[in-house]
Parts: sequence; C-alpha cells; structure tokens
Amino acid sequence: MSETHEALPEQRRWMGVVQQIGAPVISVIIAIGIGSVIMWVSGYDAGAAFAALFKGSFGSPKAFGDTLLRATPLIFTGLAVAYGFSAGLFNIGAEGQLFMGGLAAAYLGVQLAAQPWYAAVPVLLLGAMAAGAAWAFVPAVLKARIGAHEVITTMMFTYIGKYLVSWLVVGPLKAPGQIPQTVTIGTSAQLPRIQTLFSEATLEALPFLRFGRAHMGIVVAILFAVIMWAILKYTTLGYEARAVGFNPTAAETGGISVSSTIIKALCISGALAGLSGAVEVMGVHYKIFDQFSSGFGFTGIAVALVAKKNPLGVIPAALLFGALSAGSGLMQLEADVPQKIISIIQAVVIFLIAAESVIQWFIKRRQKEALSHAG
Amino acid sequence: MNRKWSKVLAVALALTLLVAFVPGCASEQETGEPTPAEKPATSVKAAMVTDVGGLGDKSFNDLSYEGLKRAQSELGVEIKVLESKEITDYESNIDQLASAGYSPIFAVGFLMTDTVSKVSTMYPDVNFAGVDEFFAEPPANVVGLNFKEQEGSYLAGVVAGLATKDKTISDKINDDNVIGFVGGMDVPLIKKFEAGFVAGAKSVNPDVQVISLYAGNFTDQAKGKELGYSLIEKKADVIYAAAGAVGLGTIEACKDKGALFIGVDADQYNTVPGSGDVMLTSMMKRVDIAVFETVKAAVNGSFPGGQIQYFGLKEGGVDLAPFHDFESKVPQTIKDAVEKARQDIISGAVTVPETL
Repeated sequence: MSETHEALPEQRRWMGVVQQIGAPVISVIIAIGIGSVIMWVSGYDAGAAFAALFKGSFGSPKAFGDTLLRATPLIFTGLAVAYGFSAGLFNIGAEGQLFMGGLAAAYLGVQLAAQPWYAAVPVLLLGAMAAGAAWAFVPAVLKARIGAHEVITTMMFTYIGKYLVSWLVVGPLKAPGQIPQTVTIGTSAQLPRIQTLFSEATLEALPFLRFGRAHMGIVVAILFAVIMWAILKYTTLGYEARAVGFNPTAAETGGISVSSTIIKALCISGALAGLSGAVEVMGVHYKIFDQFSSGFGFTGIAVALVAKKNPLGVIPAALLFGALSAGSGLMQLEADVPQKIISIIQAVVIFLIAAESVIQWFIKRRQKEALSHAG
Repeated sequence: MNRKWSKVLAVALALTLLVAFVPGCASEQETGEPTPAEKPATSVKAAMVTDVGGLGDKSFNDLSYEGLKRAQSELGVEIKVLESKEITDYESNIDQLASAGYSPIFAVGFLMTDTVSKVSTMYPDVNFAGVDEFFAEPPANVVGLNFKEQEGSYLAGVVAGLATKDKTISDKINDDNVIGFVGGMDVPLIKKFEAGFVAGAKSVNPDVQVISLYAGNFTDQAKGKELGYSLIEKKADVIYAAAGAVGLGTIEACKDKGALFIGVDADQYNTVPGSGDVMLTSMMKRVDIAVFETVKAAVNGSFPGGQIQYFGLKEGGVDLAPFHDFESKVPQTIKDAVEKARQDIISGAVTVPETL
C-alpha cells in the first residue's frame, strides 16, 4: 500500500488537486441533475427554477450582494468549526458562541454609541471574540482535564446561551415598545453597507458596486479566513493544533501539551463563532433578538465539511450556501417553486458535497490506521 | 474498502431521494392555486411574505394565505406567497415582491415590523400591510393590522369562569373554583390575551382563581405539557393557552390528566386532530378576514395607508369558535352569558382591559 503512494508522488499531487476542486464541482452538477428530476416529478419547470436561482444569487450586483450578505456569518462559523476540526475537536456548539458574540456586540454597541467608528468597531469585534471564547472555555477545560466530550458540552452551552439571550431581550435588556429586542446600537458601531462607502457619482459610473445589502463584514470575514489559514500553516500555534488533531499521543510524546492545545483551539473556535454573531448584529440587524441567527452555527458545520477544513476553502463554501439561500426568493417568485422543494434541493447539494468529504475523511483515516499498523 | 463506501453512499442517496420525493409529491396538491372563475378583472396583484414558520403552521401564515385565496376567487386579484426560511429572507422577499409590481404586500408577524418600515420608504408607490405589526407612526403606504385579542379572550374567560362551576359539562370539572392560562412569551401582545381572559372570567365568577404560567417561547411543546400538568395539579380544570405550538403540549396534558382546553388563533378543534374530547372552544383570530378586507379596500382604491387598524368583535376580527363535541353539554345559560358579553362589548357597554 505504502509502495504505491511512494511510487507516484506527481500523480498523487495531481489527483489531490482534482479531488480538492473537481469533486465539489461534480457534486454540484449531480445535485442540479437530481434537483431537476425532483422538480420535474413534482410538476415544476426545472429550467426556470435554476435560472431564477442563478438570477437571484449572481444575476445582478444587488443579487450578488445578497449572496455576500448571507455568506458573511457562514464564513465565520465555517472557520470556527474548521479550526476545531484541525485540532480534532468537533465544536458543534458554534451557535451558542455566536449568540454570546452577538450579545456582546449588541451591548457594547449601545454603550459605545458616542465613540468614533475606529474606536467602537474594533472594541465590538474584540468583545464578541472574547464572549465567544469565554463560552467555549468551560467545555474546553472539561475536555482537556476530565475528557468530557465537547459535542455534549458545547451543545449544552448552546442552549444556555440561547435561553440567556431569550431572557435578556424580554427582560433586562428589552428596548421600550412591543417587540422583544434590544436598543439599536450606535451608528458608529455599525458595519456600513458597501455601497454607502461610495459617492453617488462613483456608483453612477461603476454600477456594479451597488451591492445592495452586503456590508463590510464580508471584508472582515475574508481577512479572518486568510489569517486563520496563515495561523494553521505558518505558526507554532497552528502546528500544535494540527499535530494534536493528527495524533494526540505522538504530539504529547513530541513535547506538545495536549490539554493546553485543546483549550486554546476550542477557545479560538469560539472566538470565530462569536464574530459571526457580531457581524450579524453590526451589519444586518443593529440589535439582538431571540431568533437573530437562523442556525448559522449549525450550517457552519456543513460549510467546514464542504471546505474540507481549509480556511481558504471556507470562503467559496460559504458563498455556495449564501447563493442557495439568496436565490430561493426568486425561485418562488418567478418559477413558483415552493420553499419546501427549494429546501430539498439545497439539502441534496449539501448532502452530495458533504458526503463526499465525509467519505474521503473516513478513507484517509482507514489508510492512516493501516499505515500506522504496518509501521 | 472503496466498494464498501460506495455501497453506503448508494443506500444513503436512495434514502435521500425517497425522503425528497414524498413531501415533493404531497406539496404539489397543496400549492395548486384555484383558478379564478370569470371574475371581474382587476390589475391588483396581492402578495404575502410568511415569517420563518412558513405555510402549514395552522396559524397566522396559513390564515393570511386563506384571506389571499379568498381575495383571488372573489375579487379576481392575482396572488403570490413567498415563504421565508430565515430572518435574512424577510427584506429580500418583500423587496423582490415590491419590484415585481405586487401591491398590497402583506408581511406576517411582528418580527417584520422594522423591515416593513424600511422597505416601504424605498417603494412609496407600493402598499404594505403588517399582520400583528404595531408601527409607531405608519408611513402613508403602510397599514398595521392588529387584533383586539382581549375581546375574544374575554368571551373565552366567560365560558371558562362558568364552566369550572358546572359539572354537567364534563366529568373533568372538579370542585375547585380554579382555571388556568398558559402564555407563550411575557410580552404585551400575550398580556392582552391574559387580561381579557381574567376579566371575562371574573365578570361571571368574581371569586374564581386564575393561575397564569408563561413558557418563555412559542415552540416548546414539552414545556407546554409540563405547564399543563402543574396547572392541573393546582386544581385548574379549564385551561386557555395563547402560546403557539406550546399549547399543543398543554392539550396533551389536558388529555392525560383530565382537564378542558380552550384553543387559540384558529378553531383548534379542526386543526388539532384528536383533541375533540378536551377542546371546549377556541378563541379565533380572523387574520383571514383582516387580509381579505385589506385587499378589498386596495381593489376599491381605498387602501387604509398610514393607519393602525384594530380588528375586534365588532369587525369580526376575533370570535369564539363553536363548542363542537360539547355543543349539547354546554347549558343555555353559558351560551346566553357569552352572547350578552359579546353584545356589551360591541355596543361599548363593556370595555375589555388590555393589561392586568
């Protein structure tokens, strides 16, 4: 087995590239095929539906802006889950850390309303990271010290976080009025919509800049994807995380403290998830309320799987999910496809891509086991 | 090894397709829109955006859609419904309908209040209506459709206040003069239900004890069941729930431990299968009537923009459902008391409080 691997390194590298990029593209094509069959059997016009999906997600600068808007929180939760995976941790509770990050941003955004943006925005983002990391800290310590599984503990902390926010927005932090939500954050603490940064004359000359609802959070998100990629690839912090994820026993033998690496990795994952909540509060809602996240923390798991744990891969993966979500309105409006059918087609796309990476992950693990037995 | 995994993949795919096709086929019939038969042509295109509950919620979204469908068949308007899957969809769905020439556009649920306020300024020529949305100052092209839930709840209170003393209605009625209320979230909207219910019960039974419990959300059925158990333990024998899906759990508790239930929003005798033996009546919120009347006004060129409208007993916006299985057991005295309360509210002789 090891012989074949060593004999053809060039071919392996080439195969690797094809697998990385080609497999998801093929999955999308198969998914479109299956989706067409589903719509055809249910009596809908598949051609019109996919045309509307494309038009609603990439068909105009405004549509593309909507895709960017929806991809923004998913990049952060995708990065959060992907970083956990790199250290061998399954942070299923990104949703709870997201709620705490959003809560911190909503609170600080009101307190710092009088500050200029260059003071307010960084403090809000750092506060959200701290809140997300704090929410991951207890599960991290429990995992590192007594081995309590992070899938259970981070999930339980998700419930605590969501219900805490739920209580705060009807109680102590409720804004006056009928609706259970917090007070609107200060304008300086908000992430502006991209098109508002340009003058009307510029937009007139360059109409492709009219990105509709897309806000500066997407820029922050892409920046963080690059930072996380660099951390994993070039720093000791990232190396230790990967070493522990790859083989904790070997890492321990090699002088890496497994427990402190676990704590650091899960807290970083939590901080990234916290940022996801912050950009939703700062760029979209300007306040926090009970249902402000539509399960972005859980969708982040699928994003990370589609991205194959690669921080840079998280960007196109999140854009794919954002596009599927952005296009659903026009699919209903122009092709009369009900939301339920659209959800099924989205699920087929996600399933085919994720199943492929899950299967590859299992195969690799088997090969790794076989190799270590052989060695 | 590879072959094994491809088998797993094949089985999983087959299962996905199976799951995918079943609802796919079912929803085809649901969404088949009735064709308007030879109705006078109107250029009005009415549309609605559901909240994340979507169609099939047996509550606001479905009721609003009923109103639209009635407008389609009776007024000949073109209709369209966009379902929202996430909060982010609200603005884009409303925006897309507005730019596609739909007006009026109904936004269902108070979570869309801010979105309607924002989008309505971008489309001054399009009319918007917010179901359950309370605008501080609605713009000229926006109407808020609200309901006097306290009035319908008052009638429910009259029924409960008298029923808890009348053992001929059901063997589930005990000796204690106690009734119960289950609320979703402790917000002003739900307080209106509670206040009306308490006032109605006390109007016919001044000594009655009303115990109110809140679930903290509108979705947790297990919590609803738990709250139902605690109310029954405290000797409540008639329970009114204004709590969305939480109430479904409370119905289970009533069936388990033997108490009567008063439903909310829709006539829950019809929408909750198997609830007939505990469902005394329901407090119906006729969102369909509010939606239909608003479309009708738009067709007639008299869209009530800039207003906050309240649909009460007088407007047919709230009402009590039939007693169904209890029709023969509920004595005439209770039916007369309900009728008297209804007339008193409509005439203005009784004003039902909105708060406790």
